[in-house]
Amino acid sequence: MLGAQLALNAVALGAAYALVAIGFVLVLNATTAVNFAHGESVVAGGFAAVAMTAALAMLLPAGSAIPGIVLLPGVLVLTALLGLAIAALAYLPIRNRPPVSVFVTTIAFGIIVTNGLNAAFGAAPRAAPALLGTGTIDFLGVTASRQSLAIIATAALLIGALAFVLQRTQLGRQFRACAQDPEMARALGIRLTRITLLAFALGTAFAGAAGLLLAHQFFVTPSDGAGLILKAYIAVVIGGWGSLRGATIGAMLIAVFEVGVASVSSQPLAEGLLYVAVLLVLLVRPDGIFGEPQRLRA
Amino acid sequence: MSALPRILIVASALLATLTASAAAEPLRIPVLVPITGFLALEGTSQRNGAELALRGSGIAFDVDDTATSPEIAVNAFERALTSGRNREDVIAVVAPMLGTQMLALVPLADEFSVPMITVSGTARITELGSPNVFRFFPGDVVVKAAHARYAVEERGAKRPAVIFQTTAYGQSGRAELDRNLAALGRPAVFAEGLDVSVKDMLPVLSKVRDSGADALLLHLHSGPTALIVRQARAMGLDIPIIAGSAMHQPETAALLTPAELAGVCAESGASPISETDPATRAFADAYRAAFDREPDAFALGQYDGVQMLRAAIRAGANSAADIRAYLAARRYRGLAMTYASDGKGNMAHSAVILCYSGDSRVPAIVKRYENLTGIL
Amino acid sequence: MSPDRSPLTRQSLPLIAGGGALAIYALFFASSYDQRILTLSGIYVIMVLGYQFIFGHAGALSLAQGAFFGVGAYVTGILASQFGTGFLATFPLSIAGASLLALIVAVPVLRLASHYFALATLALSQLLLLIAVNWEPVTGGANGLPGVPPITIGDWQVTRGTQLLLFVWGLAVVAMLIARWQRNPLRTAMFTVMRDTPLAAPAFGIDPGLLRLRAFMLSAAFGGAAGALFVHTNRVVSPEVLGFGIMITCLTMTVVGGRLRILGAVIGALLLTHLPEWFRGLDEYYLVAVGVLLLVMVVFAPDGLASFVKPFRAVRAPIGTPTRPGTAGRTPPVAPGLPALEISGLSKRYGGIQALDEVGLSIGAGEIVGMIGPNGAGKTTLANIITGIARADSGAIRSAGLDLATATPTAIARGGIARTFQTPQLPDGLTVRDVIETAAANAGEAARDRARAAGAITSCDLTGIADVRSGTLPHGLRRRVEIARALAGGPHLLVLDEPAAGLAAAEQAEIADILRTIAAAGPAILVIDHNLEFLRPLATRLACLDAGRLIADGPRDDVLADTAVRAAYFGLVTAAGGAA
Repeated sequence: MLGAQLALNAVALGAAYALVAIGFVLVLNATTAVNFAHGESVVAGGFAAVAMTAALAMLLPAGSAIPGIVLLPGVLVLTALLGLAIAALAYLPIRNRPPVSVFVTTIAFGIIVTNGLNAAFGAAPRAAPALLGTGTIDFLGVTASRQSLAIIATAALLIGALAFVLQRTQLGRQFRACAQDPEMARALGIRLTRITLLAFALGTAFAGAAGLLLAHQFFVTPSDGAGLILKAYIAVVIGGWGSLRGATIGAMLIAVFEVGVASVSSQPLAEGLLYVAVLLVLLVRPDGIFGEPQRLRA
Repeated sequence: MSALPRILIVASALLATLTASAAAEPLRIPVLVPITGFLALEGTSQRNGAELALRGSGIAFDVDDTATSPEIAVNAFERALTSGRNREDVIAVVAPMLGTQMLALVPLADEFSVPMITVSGTARITELGSPNVFRFFPGDVVVKAAHARYAVEERGAKRPAVIFQTTAYGQSGRAELDRNLAALGRPAVFAEGLDVSVKDMLPVLSKVRDSGADALLLHLHSGPTALIVRQARAMGLDIPIIAGSAMHQPETAALLTPAELAGVCAESGASPISETDPATRAFADAYRAAFDREPDAFALGQYDGVQMLRAAIRAGANSAADIRAYLAARRYRGLAMTYASDGKGNMAHSAVILCYSGDSRVPAIVKRYENLTGIL
Repeated sequence: MSPDRSPLTRQSLPLIAGGGALAIYALFFASSYDQRILTLSGIYVIMVLGYQFIFGHAGALSLAQGAFFGVGAYVTGILASQFGTGFLATFPLSIAGASLLALIVAVPVLRLASHYFALATLALSQLLLLIAVNWEPVTGGANGLPGVPPITIGDWQVTRGTQLLLFVWGLAVVAMLIARWQRNPLRTAMFTVMRDTPLAAPAFGIDPGLLRLRAFMLSAAFGGAAGALFVHTNRVVSPEVLGFGIMITCLTMTVVGGRLRILGAVIGALLLTHLPEWFRGLDEYYLVAVGVLLLVMVVFAPDGLASFVKPFRAVRAPIGTPTRPGTAGRTPPVAPGLPALEISGLSKRYGGIQALDEVGLSIGAGEIVGMIGPNGAGKTTLANIITGIARADSGAIRSAGLDLATATPTAIARGGIARTFQTPQLPDGLTVRDVIETAAANAGEAARDRARAAGAITSCDLTGIADVRSGTLPHGLRRRVEIARALAGGPHLLVLDEPAAGLAAAEQAEIADILRTIAAAGPAILVIDHNLEFLRPLATRLACLDAGRLIADGPRDDVLADTAVRAAYFGLVTAAGGAA
């Protein structure tokens, strides 16, 4: 049934976008830094998967299939390291300076990553292995690709784990404290630099995971980053700046337009309607769908 | 030794020195192609093809990136021609295949009076009345004629659907495809443009299915072409897929399994990895050895173009004007096809259709459309 | 502000020499390619100058600058290539088109805060890009429109190379002059107030909405102009002019060069057009090198490279001799018969809490009234309603004939009602004099503004520290500056919110002296405080709020002796056994 099929596709795509957006919000929350290299981090995750596949293929007998799940830990580690690099080079040296400077340092970092990947891997689109095997599963009249289900499951798991950590653990409390009032957090003995590094590492690792998941079904090219950061930014703002729930909903909204609306209109029109919808939402709710978790008090 | 032989020896030595120093002026052919950005894949093919053709020629070729905007392309052109070096040394320029960039470069090439050789397919570039554009890849007019004719005449399509990219390449090709399909009496029953970044093809493919189309014609870039093929097969859409030239690129085929490729066809100027004649195979081997990649038709077209330049030089051309005259008037038998100008700079008039059998990622050429414009 | 005097400082000489050398090189020694890159730099200078208005000065993260650039580009591109329209028509039309767009979107978009504003401008830009790519009949689609002619004015065709270079930089210089004119010291200070202490902006008499609108329109006009010149330089118009890349370029140039200064625009534009070209020799790694250098530059100079160059304007000379202390603070006295403040039946409810309950109060000219009451009684709510930051649910509130219930905070401040804040709202970067002069500014009355500012400085005994930056002042002096700021607007009513909180006894007495002197010259003063020691020598009349209701209003000693007041304050149980 086409409607259900489209819905599943939209959910899968939205789940991947949500992973990207959540990583973005995580860094935002802990540091108020807008990381414009986030889109490139997704691409880096995809290429990390491609590189690891090539390396493993040399060690294993020819023709063996490498399930993507094996690559996931490696991808997470590599992109977490990338996140640390971004934090160390593009954020920490100027963290007490105007936030607009962080825009440009992270943009610069993104340029380095994109062109570095282009030079190292070439410009051709590449594919990563599926997470848990290719093929489809039929249920309820819907033909679901295993990868789509894997994306939804992985995203749900990771986002759920993050929500748990943030709401229920001491570390999560520290994160939220840093987000709301960095000076007070420092006064309370919370090690701000540590939290910052952790936030960047975690946020970028999420992006890497999204990159791995997307790279099988949709391929990965070095120049994909710009479009992704655009979508992440839209999702995060429209949902309410700094709101994790809002970012997830925003990501889903984008996917609904890309898949759902595009199926009844044309793709360019669907894209246009997304932007119109964004403008309308901002007209009616100037603080995003869910508003901001922290407000400036008089 | 008597005086005469001595004089002759000295005279010939002098002559040799003079001609040697005249030939020692380094001629330059700047290679201005996209090596960053969304067209970097095709641009790299251009560069490789040009480089392979210029090896051992003594001609200086500097490669400069044109990225994706006309602005940068014009910067690269001006730099190649006027920055600190002798403009007279430049006898031709290898120009980017991105249509918008070519459109910006044409007035400049005319002003500097330097011929440009490219593999851009965008129809418009040879319609501006410039004597300095020479394209060594069949333009949209040619290649879309082959595309449409194959679909209608060979595969019996009565209700074709068209999906094209909303880029310069895509929109230009779509216009020609529409024209040709209409001329064949089989206008498209469905057409939609996609942005390069679109990932999920289910919406557009479901509309294709709903339209009752019996053939799917694509004019997309590499990644999106592979996405359409894979997702069409996955949703059980079994109508024939005849793709644009992006499909023939080995990098595109590498993204799909041979099973997914079964029955998929594509148009192109050529397909070097499919050819069996010794010269093309030698080219492919040399390309692989030099660049560790499979060659595609863009590389081959650029190679042929630059080889024609070398032929011109061997025939005595040593200025931009000479090159332009040679390219405009002479015929050249390249590896992909025979090239000759139609007066507007379109050098390539033949196209091929290639199909994948399902056994491998190397397609076979199933139909050749020679001399579609009747020029040759 | 004092007349602008900008003697050539020692630092500007090397810069001028450098600029001169560059000019000579560009005109006589540069290749056609070098001239082209410099021409592009000039175009970007114009765009960045415009962007500085909205992004640097107004502090709003606009992502629409690329859109304005693109609109200007397409207007010129379409008209010139399809209809052969000349430059003298297309150039103003490009500017007008971009400005019109800004005007249309300004109303719904400008009121959005930071990232929401950014998103709205981004969505707008993306929409325009979609239209440009897909509306093939008009825009030429992704291929664009070739054949944009060179700039033609009458018979003169501006040729590529030296002529175009001079033309573009000529316009860039014009743009710089306009920017300088628009960024006079007063307006720059107003922008600083708006950016750094947004809550206090209305109290300064600044209308943030109007200020932002002006900045937005200017940025659009400059952007449109730059776009028009761009297509003449490239001879084609295509959707790249509306792409996100241009916006990123603009943003990067602004940050690298410096967000606020004209020199920053020049440095940023020149540097970032040349960097990718300089590194071309590195083949496919050249953009990596550019990225690295960008990163290094911003880390090294987060406020922009221009911040290493001292400002060109010399320190301003003193304003002129102040008039006798106290008299410059005189405002046109309130017309007899009109009270400085008249409130009746004022009520305000926040959810389940009745913040104010049928409050009535009347203050005459020259009175000093103390408003006391325990925490949470509604004192600050009352202050906010008087100054227009909050709106009452019911009741009437007038001051000298002005209806405060419906007026905007800015209108109220300009209508003669000034307030101070519990925490002094002083932008760190402005000097004391800047702060007070900005607050004194009123359209078209420069001399009287200066006099009022001078008077305020003297009245509050700030002459010695007038040129010290507010950010370095200790708490006590900040409070004094805050009062002077309120005084500078020539108010007939001052609403002071805990003006002496956190001060030692001696400092409190100083503040009290100042306030008495001010009141003697005309304005009425409403002092909200719960520090009775401070109020006792100051106020002749006290009013007491408790849980939103006015429970006492009369001569000071009577109110202090009032049992209800004492119960509210000290929780005293009366002899009759009734609890408070």
